[in-house]
Amino acid sequence: MTTTELPAIKGVGTQATRLYGVLALIALGWVLVGGLFFTPEDVVQGDAVRIMYVHVPTAWTAYLAFIVTGVASACWLLGKKHSMGFDRVAGASAEVGVAFMALTLISGSLWGRITWGTFWVWDPRLTTTAFLFVTYLGYLAVRGLGGSPHQRARRSSVVALLAVLEIPLVHFSVVLWRSLHQEASVLSPDGDIKMDGIMLFTLLFGVFGFSVLFAWLVSHRQRIMAMHDAQRASALEVAMADRLQEASS
Amino acid sequence: MDLTPRTSSDNAPLAPRTKAKKKWRYVAMLVVVVSAGGFIVSQFLTSAIDFYCNVDEIGSRVGCEEDRRLRVQGNVVEGSISESANKTTFSLVFNNKTIDVIYDGDPGGIFQECIPVVAHGRLQGDTFEANRIEVRHSNEYEAANADRISESEVAPCSQQVG
Repeated sequence: MTTTELPAIKGVGTQATRLYGVLALIALGWVLVGGLFFTPEDVVQGDAVRIMYVHVPTAWTAYLAFIVTGVASACWLLGKKHSMGFDRVAGASAEVGVAFMALTLISGSLWGRITWGTFWVWDPRLTTTAFLFVTYLGYLAVRGLGGSPHQRARRSSVVALLAVLEIPLVHFSVVLWRSLHQEASVLSPDGDIKMDGIMLFTLLFGVFGFSVLFAWLVSHRQRIMAMHDAQRASALEVAMADRLQEASS
Repeated sequence: MDLTPRTSSDNAPLAPRTKAKKKWRYVAMLVVVVSAGGFIVSQFLTSAIDFYCNVDEIGSRVGCEEDRRLRVQGNVVEGSISESANKTTFSLVFNNKTIDVIYDGDPGGIFQECIPVVAHGRLQGDTFEANRIEVRHSNEYEAANADRISESEVAPCSQQVG
């Protein structure tokens, strides 16, 4: 009979995550209501412009996620203790980033159908974005290849540090090459934001809301990963204790 | 004492076979990802890196030769759009060079006068026969209201050269 138990899985929420959750709800609530009802139609695009309040924030949050993955990976590689916490943050951030990047591609595709007249074109921005998405899917595959947690952390850190270099290429692709995609509106090359006030406010609120949602998701996910790692580490000890108990009884 | 892993117990660690299965799933995912990456890079090199020629570059820029299939960018000339027998005709202008375009169907999107478009097709004589139109839009976002319509009337779009 088994008497030794694995560590019980407790909740992964903290005061900080609860704060992130509330802030994300408030901000995204405004994006939903403001984006649909309070912001005006665009003079050229009409109602299609409302997709921007999801498309741009999810793209920026995906960039943020991949940068966090890169920074956490660098911290793991360069740190003397090789703390596995950095590796878990890197992995969790990449997972959330891939989800946001998928949302960016889907929302952009819908926006493109309405404004450009097509769901997809192989133009510089879309092509480099698709490549970034696929690269981070590859990063997640590399993380799952097996080996010890340290082996996993070492190889995925190297991939993350290479992959993060793609972000400037994606962002500046509309400037470097001829693209169907428009140039950046908020971080425009000439520094002049050409956007109606309430549109800009809602867009920036969206960036804030999705960023806080990212923080909330990563906090929870990396804690779940920590629990899985702890469970795996203790599983062998539990099994041996069980057998010893069986042998002695 | 037998210490081989047990698979039936809830608390047992993953059996080696399950681990190997999981690993191969990730290897397969990696193969798919590398293949997709290769395809995207090939699209980038063949299509994205030089997405279009401007109207004034037709016949004068490498890759924009008149006898090949082209993607041409220019602004739709004000007052040039006409539709008849399921065909749309309009003119594109860029750097004071104009080209007439004929498209089989409704261009769709937010196609309108004064907006930049990319037309895919071939040059037949002096007319560009397009079978695909993509509409570009700028990074400017303005609320639609009556005042701005009068502003646009003050500055006719045909003055735009891109």
